Amino acid sequence: MGRIVGIDLGTTNSLVAYLDPQTNQPKCIPGPYGSTLCPSVVSLDADGTIVVGEAARRRLLTQPERTIYSVKRLMGRGPADIQDELKLFPFRIDPSSKNVIRVKLGGKLFTPPEISAFILRELKNWAEAHFGETVDRGVITVPAYFNDAQRQATKDAGKIAGLEVLRLVNEPTAAALAYGLHEKQRGKVAVYDLGGGTFDISVLKLISTTEGDIFQVLSTNGDTHLGGDDIDNLLQAFVHELILQHDEIDFSPHGEIAQELRKSLIEVKHQLSESEAATLRFALPNGTVFTHEFTRGALDALIRPVVDRTMRPVKQALADAQLKLADMDEVVLVGGATRTPLIRRTVQEFFDRRPHIDLNPDEVVALGAAVQANILDQGVKNMLLLDVTPLSLGIETYGGAVAKIIPRNSTIPASAQELYTTGVDNQTGIDIHVLQGERELAKDCRSLARFTLRVPPAPAGLPRIEVKFLIDANGILQVGAKDLRTSEQHSIEVQPSYGINDSEIERMLEESIEYAEQDFAERQVIEARTESEAILAATAKALANHQAAGLSPEERARIDASVATLKESAAGSDYKLIRKRIDELNHATEHLAELLMNSAVSTALEGRKLAEV
Amino acid sequence: MSNNSGYFELFGLPRKLWIEMGALEQKFLQLSWKFHPDNFVNATEHERELSLQRSSELNDAYRVLRDPVARVEYLLGIEGARKEGEHKQQAPPELLEEVFELNESLDELREAKASGGDLAALKARLESAEKNFQQKLGEVDEQLQSAAREWDTLQGNGAVRKKIMAKLNDLLNRRSYIRNLVANVQKELV
Repeated sequence: MGRIVGIDLGTTNSLVAYLDPQTNQPKCIPGPYGSTLCPSVVSLDADGTIVVGEAARRRLLTQPERTIYSVKRLMGRGPADIQDELKLFPFRIDPSSKNVIRVKLGGKLFTPPEISAFILRELKNWAEAHFGETVDRGVITVPAYFNDAQRQATKDAGKIAGLEVLRLVNEPTAAALAYGLHEKQRGKVAVYDLGGGTFDISVLKLISTTEGDIFQVLSTNGDTHLGGDDIDNLLQAFVHELILQHDEIDFSPHGEIAQELRKSLIEVKHQLSESEAATLRFALPNGTVFTHEFTRGALDALIRPVVDRTMRPVKQALADAQLKLADMDEVVLVGGATRTPLIRRTVQEFFDRRPHIDLNPDEVVALGAAVQANILDQGVKNMLLLDVTPLSLGIETYGGAVAKIIPRNSTIPASAQELYTTGVDNQTGIDIHVLQGERELAKDCRSLARFTLRVPPAPAGLPRIEVKFLIDANGILQVGAKDLRTSEQHSIEVQPSYGINDSEIERMLEESIEYAEQDFAERQVIEARTESEAILAATAKALANHQAAGLSPEERARIDASVATLKESAAGSDYKLIRKRIDELNHATEHLAELLMNSAVSTALEGRKLAEV
Repeated sequence: MSNNSGYFELFGLPRKLWIEMGALEQKFLQLSWKFHPDNFVNATEHERELSLQRSSELNDAYRVLRDPVARVEYLLGIEGARKEGEHKQQAPPELLEEVFELNESLDELREAKASGGDLAALKARLESAEKNFQQKLGEVDEQLQSAAREWDTLQGNGAVRKKIMAKLNDLLNRRSYIRNLVANVQKELV
C-alpha cells in the first residue's frame, strides 16, 4: 500500500497535505514552484498534453479557450442548473450535453470530474515526488453544503485520478480538526468558511472524553455558489461599466482582455486587504491606460451584498444547533476570502468575539484533511469526527409533495426505512423518487435519483417491500430493499440523476492515465539512479585523495562493499532498494568525509554526506 | 419502524419517556467510539458493512430519543399504538371555530397580496392568531409531558396502559395539526 494524503480540492486553489509522523502535526506539500497552492486551473496544450496549476493559470491570459478555472462550480450539476454560472464564467459547455455536462478545452470534451481529476493527479504527483513513494489513498474535502450529486462527482474525480477516496470530509469540519489539534480548543466553535466559490458555516462541539477528543458537528449551512469569485465578479462588472462610460470600450466579459483585467482587479483586492487605498492601472486595447483609485471604503460598499448573503446561513446554523450567540466559545475563519477586512469585521461584530485566524486560511482545510487521513489510516485512536448531512432527504409523495425521511443536520451515517406496497393487482413496479432539500415540493428540491422497485405480481396491497435509505459517512446515499414476505434482500442500482456510471469512470481512468506524463515508478527509478551516480562519483574521487589513507582497513572494506552493492542495485529498477543502498554508502563514508575536511571545521560538519563535501 | 425496535435497548434504557439527557449523550459518545466507520477503514467488507449498519442505527436512535416528541412517537410505534389521525386535515372539535377564523384571515391576506390591498391590519390579526396557536402548542406539550409521566409511573396494568397510549397518540395528532397550522401562518407572514 502507498502513502495516504489529505487533499483540499478548492474552487480557486487546491492543496495536498500529510501528517508528519515526527511532529504529529499536519504539513502542506509544496509544488515545483515552491508554493503549497496549486491553482485549480487546467489547460489542454495544442499537442494534447494537460497542464495543471500555476503553468495553466498563466495560460488563462494567452490561451483562454484551452483553459478552465473554477470547475468546482460545475461538479455534480446538470446543464439546466448552470445557466446563471454561464453568464459570469467563461465555461465552454458542449451544447449537446444532456444529463452530464461536458466542457470544451481546445477541441476536446471533458466532464467536470475528469477536469478535477487532472488537478488531483497533479497533487498526487507533488506528494509522490515529496515522499519518493506512491500515493494511492486520500481524504478529499468538500463544501459542507455540497449535495449528494456534488459529493458523488468529487468521489468520481478521485477514482479517475487513481486515488482510493477513503472519505469525503466537510471543509469547515476539516478546519476545526486542524484547529483542535493545533490549539487544543474545547467548547462550541463556529467555523465560517468563505472560499473561492462556496460558503459554509458549521457549528461544532469539541468534547473531551476518556477515550479521546470528539469533534461533533451540531449543524451546518451554506451556499455552494457564493464565494470570493462573486466579489471578483462585482469588481469586474463595476470596472467594465466605468471603462464603457469613460472610454466607450465594451469588451466581452469572457475574452482575453477580461481575464487580464480580472487578474489586475484581484491584485487590487489583495492590496486593499493590507492598505486603505490601491490604484488600478490597466492598458486598454486603444493604447490608453485606464486608471482608477480604489479606497477600502468603496470596496466595502461594493462587496457588502456578498458579505450580507453569508449571514442568513449563519443564523440558520445557530438556530438549528439550538444555540444562542452567547453559547458560542470560539469563531474560526477559513478560506482565502476571509482575509477581506470587511468580512473579518462583520464576523467579529456578529459573534462579538475576535475570530481565530492563526492558521493560514488557505492551508487549514488541507491540514485538517491530513489529520483525518491519518485517523482513518491508523484506525481511530484518540480523535473522532461526527459529521452531519447538510440537507434533508425526502421522497416524492402524491401530488408532487416531499415527505422528509432524514432531517438535515442528522449525524451521519443516518438511515430511514419506508414501507411500500402496490395499489393495483399484479402491479410489478413502484416508482421511487429521492430528493434532497428543504422545500415542500419535489420540483423545488434537488432530484437525487429515480428508480423502480420490482415487485412480484400479487393482489394489490399484499406485497410489503421495505426500502432502506442510508446516508453514509461521506454524505452519499445508498439504497437497499427487502421483501418482508420472503426476507429477500434486493440491491438497488441507483443511477444518480446527474452522475456518470461506473463503466464511464473506468474509461475516464484509463484515459487520464494516458494523459499522465510519466509513470511514477519509472520517474523514481530515474531519479534514484541519477543520485547514485553522483554519490558513486564523489566516493571514487574521495578515495583517490591522499587523506583517504586515514581510513582504517575495516572502514575501507565497508566502503568498497557498499559501492559494489549500490552499483548492483542501481542496475535494477527497484528504486526503494537503490535509495537504501545510497543511504548505506552515505553512512559508510561518513569518516571519509570528515577526513577530507579541514580538521578545524570537521566537527561542525559532522554527519555530512560525502556528496555534499 | 419495522426492524428498529431497539432504540431504548441500544442505550440500555427501559421503555420510559423521561430520559436524563447528560447520560444519554455520554452513552451516545461512548458507542460512537465503538461503531463509527472511521474505525473500520482497513477492516473486511463484512465488518465495514456491519459498522455502517450499527453506527447509522445508533445515530438514528440518538436523534429520536433526545427529541421528546419523536421519543413518544417512537415508543407508540414499537408498542403498536401509533395511529395517525385518519382525518389528518380535520380540526379537533374544540378548535373548530378558531381554525375557521384563521383560515378566513389567511384567504383575505392572500387576496390582498394578489390585488395589492392593505396588508398591515390583516398581518397584525394573523400575528395575534399565530401567538394564540403557539400558546396552544405549549399547552399540548405540557399535556404530553404529564401523560408521559403517567406512562413512566405505570405498573403494568393492561387497560390503563392502553388508555395512556391512546391519550399520547391523540396528543401527538393534535400537536402535529397545530404545528402545521402555525407553519402555514408563518409561511404567509414572511
